[in-house]
Amino acid sequence: MLTEQRLRVIATGLLLLGPLTSPLLADTPAGQRGAAPEPSGFWTGPVNSAVPNTLTGGKVILKARELVGLMRQGGAVVVDVSNAPRRPDGLAPGAPWLPVPHRAIPGSIWIPGAGLGEVPVSVDDFFRQRLSAATGGHLARPVVVYCHRHCWLSWNAAKRAISYGYRNVYWFRDGVERWKAAGYPTEVIEPQFAPEGRADR
Amino acid sequence: MGTVRQLLLWACLIGLLGAASQVRADDDDPGARAERWQALHQALFPGRSLQDGAGIVKLDAPPRALDAALVPIGIELSGVKAIKSVYLIIDGNPSPLAAHFTFGPKADPHSLKLRVRVDRYTDIHAIAASQDNHLFVTSRFVKASGGCSAPAGSDDTAALADMGRMKLHVVGDFVAGKPAQAVLMVRHPNFNGMQMNQITRYYTPPRFIRTIDASYEGASIFHLDSDISMSTDPVITFGFVPKSKGQMKIVVRDSKDATFDGTFEVPGEGASNPTAAAHDSSNGSASGA
Repeated sequence: MLTEQRLRVIATGLLLLGPLTSPLLADTPAGQRGAAPEPSGFWTGPVNSAVPNTLTGGKVILKARELVGLMRQGGAVVVDVSNAPRRPDGLAPGAPWLPVPHRAIPGSIWIPGAGLGEVPVSVDDFFRQRLSAATGGHLARPVVVYCHRHCWLSWNAAKRAISYGYRNVYWFRDGVERWKAAGYPTEVIEPQFAPEGRADR
Repeated sequence: MGTVRQLLLWACLIGLLGAASQVRADDDDPGARAERWQALHQALFPGRSLQDGAGIVKLDAPPRALDAALVPIGIELSGVKAIKSVYLIIDGNPSPLAAHFTFGPKADPHSLKLRVRVDRYTDIHAIAASQDNHLFVTSRFVKASGGCSAPAGSDDTAALADMGRMKLHVVGDFVAGKPAQAVLMVRHPNFNGMQMNQITRYYTPPRFIRTIDASYEGASIFHLDSDISMSTDPVITFGFVPKSKGQMKIVVRDSKDATFDGTFEVPGEGASNPTAAAHDSSNGSASGA
């Protein structure tokens, strides 16, 4: 497993090799080729595509170490907004529904749907309530949002949290992949869906 | 779900050097996959022992799928053991039991083919259940991702309008008394509830095939319990033994309790394109296929 430090050393070396090294640079803070501009509203395009380097009104975290610091010292509320499979209506009674366990940053709350470009009112309300409960209603409490690398869901959800009035919103841009690559442990967590079940209706 | 996988595919494509393309550790780690299989074994076949299927059941699947929503699967049964049913399990899918074929008296249980959706890098298992109640297992590792959320097609409405149309095609010459292979094609979007409509940006409500029954001259060839893992517009290849010219009947039921059936003369007018009639009993309309 590559540590972040080693990745940085490699990336710095590759920088010298010129533009052909884009694949490695895409994984490191050092080189950001192909970053997307920030959209004015929420992103409604393909969820898996190049993301921005910035989040207006919030802060971007690139390193897992920074996140650990925020969790330990800042009492950050950490929110995973990855998609979750939902048992479809009409599945035969007794048909096995056994999603692969979702491994996440320990202590995260998982709110699928909170990062959609357009959210139904029920999900918007649910996300707002869950954040309020988790922060104890303190708008200054740090809130960290993540999903996966090159995934817009976390960018959208972080922007949404800012719109709710949270003043210390962090976007952990490269998500759980970065966390794992840095060698930190994960834990299996369960999704919290908005009432009336579905994050999508 | 499966979001990262697509992205990783992109990373692979973009990265000619390829050095940094990174796969979700969970999926590519044989230990994690073995652990997943242990859990599925306990959930699906509690207390049953699984024997090595070598020489009895063989599974064909591409090591790396071109299209995760259309992964071709072949299951071959040697005939060394009399087999009553076959399970297909896609470990990484949220509804892992993708298909369970139960053979009837008219079956020629040697070969099955179908196409499935695969959500992430996964082991796929085929389990053959013998008449004397043993389970024989074989598996393959398949690299495919994002199949569950891949759209069913460009036009959901058109797909629903066409639903239930069928074609049946008998492979090769028809010889009474000899095993024959048939290819069944059913028009059905098999929406699994995880596909986003590309225009409305909302998820398409699930509607998928739950069972297919194939019979010949009134006796069963197979009964299939299927699930959301089956591809859009299923194509199933199966063997049967026609003692003489006759009628094959196909009955498809979906998760909205709609029933579609097709009746085919075998051999038909030019056996490669038999006549068919399909109707959707849910709305009473009838249409020639």
